Amino acid sequence: MAGGGGFTPVEPSSPSAEAIADIYYLLAGVAGFVFLLVTVPLVLFIFRFRSRGRSRDVEGPQIRGHNRLELAWTALPVLILVVIATFVFYKLPGLTGVENASGGADLEVRVEGRRFYWQYEYPNGVIAIDTLRLPVDRVVRFEVTAPDSDVNHSFWVPAIGGKLDAIPGETTHTSVRPDRTGVFEGVCAELCGIQHAVMLARIEVVPRASFDRWLSAEARKQETGDSRLGENTFTGACAKCHGMQAEGLIGPPLAGNALLNDKQGLEEVVRNGRGAMPAVGEDWGPRQFDALFGYMRKRYGGAGGS
Amino acid sequence: MAARTEPYPLAWDRGRFASWLTTVDHKRIGILYIVTSLVFFMAGGVLALLMRAQLATPDADVVTRDGYNQLFTMHGTTMVFLVVVPIFAGFANFLVPLMIGARDMAFPRLNAFSYWLFLLGGLVLYASWFVDGGAPSSGWTAYPPNSVYAQGDGQDLWILSLHILSLASLAGAINFIVTIHNMRTRGMTWMRLPLFVWTIEVYAALLVIVLPALSAGLTLLLLDRQGWTHFFVPSEGGDAILFQHVFWFFGHPEVYIMILPAMGIVSEVIPVFSRKPIFGYKAIALSTVAIGFYSLLLWGHHMFTVGLPTWMLGFFMVSSMIIAVPTGVKIFNWLATTWRGNLILDTAMLFSLGFIAVFTVGGLSGIFVAAFPFDWQVHDTYFIVAHLHYVLFGGSMFGIFAGLYYWWPKMFGRLLGERLGKWHFWLTFVGFNLAFFPQHMLGMLGMPRRVYTYRDDDLWTTYNLISTIGSFIMGLGILVFVVNVIRTRRRGTRAGNDPWVADTLEWYTSSPPPHHNFDSVPYVTSARPLRDLRRRLREAETGRNGSTRPAAIARPPAPETTS
Repeated sequence: MAGGGGFTPVEPSSPSAEAIADIYYLLAGVAGFVFLLVTVPLVLFIFRFRSRGRSRDVEGPQIRGHNRLELAWTALPVLILVVIATFVFYKLPGLTGVENASGGADLEVRVEGRRFYWQYEYPNGVIAIDTLRLPVDRVVRFEVTAPDSDVNHSFWVPAIGGKLDAIPGETTHTSVRPDRTGVFEGVCAELCGIQHAVMLARIEVVPRASFDRWLSAEARKQETGDSRLGENTFTGACAKCHGMQAEGLIGPPLAGNALLNDKQGLEEVVRNGRGAMPAVGEDWGPRQFDALFGYMRKRYGGAGGS
Repeated sequence: MAARTEPYPLAWDRGRFASWLTTVDHKRIGILYIVTSLVFFMAGGVLALLMRAQLATPDADVVTRDGYNQLFTMHGTTMVFLVVVPIFAGFANFLVPLMIGARDMAFPRLNAFSYWLFLLGGLVLYASWFVDGGAPSSGWTAYPPNSVYAQGDGQDLWILSLHILSLASLAGAINFIVTIHNMRTRGMTWMRLPLFVWTIEVYAALLVIVLPALSAGLTLLLLDRQGWTHFFVPSEGGDAILFQHVFWFFGHPEVYIMILPAMGIVSEVIPVFSRKPIFGYKAIALSTVAIGFYSLLLWGHHMFTVGLPTWMLGFFMVSSMIIAVPTGVKIFNWLATTWRGNLILDTAMLFSLGFIAVFTVGGLSGIFVAAFPFDWQVHDTYFIVAHLHYVLFGGSMFGIFAGLYYWWPKMFGRLLGERLGKWHFWLTFVGFNLAFFPQHMLGMLGMPRRVYTYRDDDLWTTYNLISTIGSFIMGLGILVFVVNVIRTRRRGTRAGNDPWVADTLEWYTSSPPPHHNFDSVPYVTSARPLRDLRRRLREAETGRNGSTRPAAIARPPAPETTS
């Protein structure tokens, strides 16, 4: 939240983010103390013992060390570090044990990082792009990964919790329990290529009842093809390189492109990539591809549509 | 047999330029290293300013997207491999033989070979701007699979360049170790070794230990790109994380390779400009060794977000924190050295005291990110960018500038101007903190690193603008330094042997030293041989101790006109 101006963590919206914020405050306290412990004497000594025109030949007292003093400032950091490490382990169960505390996850979401969008899959097969909708006060388990042919990404929404890398060939998981409704912004935090900067993530936390309604309605719509899956896939996967109006950006313009009349040709390109274009839709199901094809043809197919 | 007349040096290599091309003199090689590194430093600095110009506003069009990725890749690679590591090789080359009272490095030709390899590596890296696809764009860490899939030849030149630079560093490091172990003058025991030489010993040992890991990783990466292997390609059964382990096994000790010699420089400067002995010589020397040892055990703290098991997270957190202990010992011992001293605030001292303040901030933010749950938040954000610059600019570069002001008279015979020096320091100090402190906040707010654009939000924009302004102030400070160097060359004050009334052997000879360094080297009886000499001389003059012969000690080494 803006209140801290970046001097404090983004306002936590889950117990895990809260626990991390607590660790931060301890660290900040300790760091502030040590910083003063060093800089106050430093400034005082500079002021007090500065030469004031004394010649270089004037030597200070020839003190070569002091064992007890040196022992003290070896022991002090050790003690401080023991305190920090102990506190981290004390907070850890609240961070990584969200599932254990409530006897399992209420919802499991697969989070896939792809160049350059996030694809989420709910247990009932609903697919979401970039924006993830979650119920408040439920334990959500994220299975974070990336398709085998993709590159490393890192899923991070600061208000909800720490980041987790999405690495091809590995599936990592974490659990969170968002405790506040709202919209929380996030990013991809691992360099993944030319459009890494615009690979954003967003979590919308909504009341449970409206989440359940939305999820089942969305499942029906995606089944029948009435959902906005096509549009979302275009905005997430295509527009970042081909322009928000398909006018061309890094990649060529798609508006009016002949491929929009050639379903097989388009499928070939999105599934395998072409030149600098990654295989963005390598493992899209037919439903998602049809939705995208339908949307693009309707919106950008132009006069040549048949 | 008649006396043989050596036709040496040959006529052609006596020329003004040719003599530099063919030199095997450690002092000249050291200067070549330092000057080359400084040129690369300017280049890397320009890349940084371009990035800051792009980030001054959220949607700027100063550079292209791909161009931005190339900028931070080249900036990082340049500053690590072409500036900080080799400039310390330069300092070490110039200073180690002088400080230990030796005639030259153990292997002078190998020494020249390492320098020319280093230059070649740098040129290969910069040639990548001109090849198909342009400069590499996968970051200085080059994580696969991204770096395996990277198109164009830039990434391959990056690998080739780092291979060459590794060889250069390895040859140099072996040379330093052999020199330090075998060529110390009479009386210079390990506990009388200048603290800078201690740090070079550990610097070199670490290089020898970890560079092979880098070379192995680079070779596998190259094979994945150009051969038919799939070590890091998950779609073919490879492991993307393996490279991170290999890279950071090299990469984290590399951080200490880049900071320890700066600590060594500061440990030389602070006592001389406090007119006191260093406080706790043994503790500082041994903490250098301790830092070197522990630096080998904590590479995993760069990988807290890849999904390591909890016991590993805990291990790497604790091992990372342990390093704060020997580091703290150094900082408190430096502080204690200034206590009740006669602090002469020349530029070299200002940079050293600035080092203490700024490096402390970098060390403390290091404790933050060692606590792995907090790292889950700020990993790969601007918080890390701030942290690493507090350590590598606030630490390494401040130390390097301190060293340049301190040893410039020994290298070139003239003192760098103090008035411009102070401008240089204050512009750099203020600009540095303006540029990098707000980046901590940006990271906390959620700004990831390596992005050409960011959220259009008041706070984000403000902090970024402050950071950009600070970076240009730093740039101005560096320009002042360049002006200072040029002015000093023309009309700097001549230094004499020992302008600072210092303690170590390099100040016993002329400035610049003759080709053979010393006519004679005094027997070393403590860590401060020059002060001992001065004292004995004074005692002899006042007749309190007649056993030493002032004539023998007072005689200055014959000045010789080289360069």
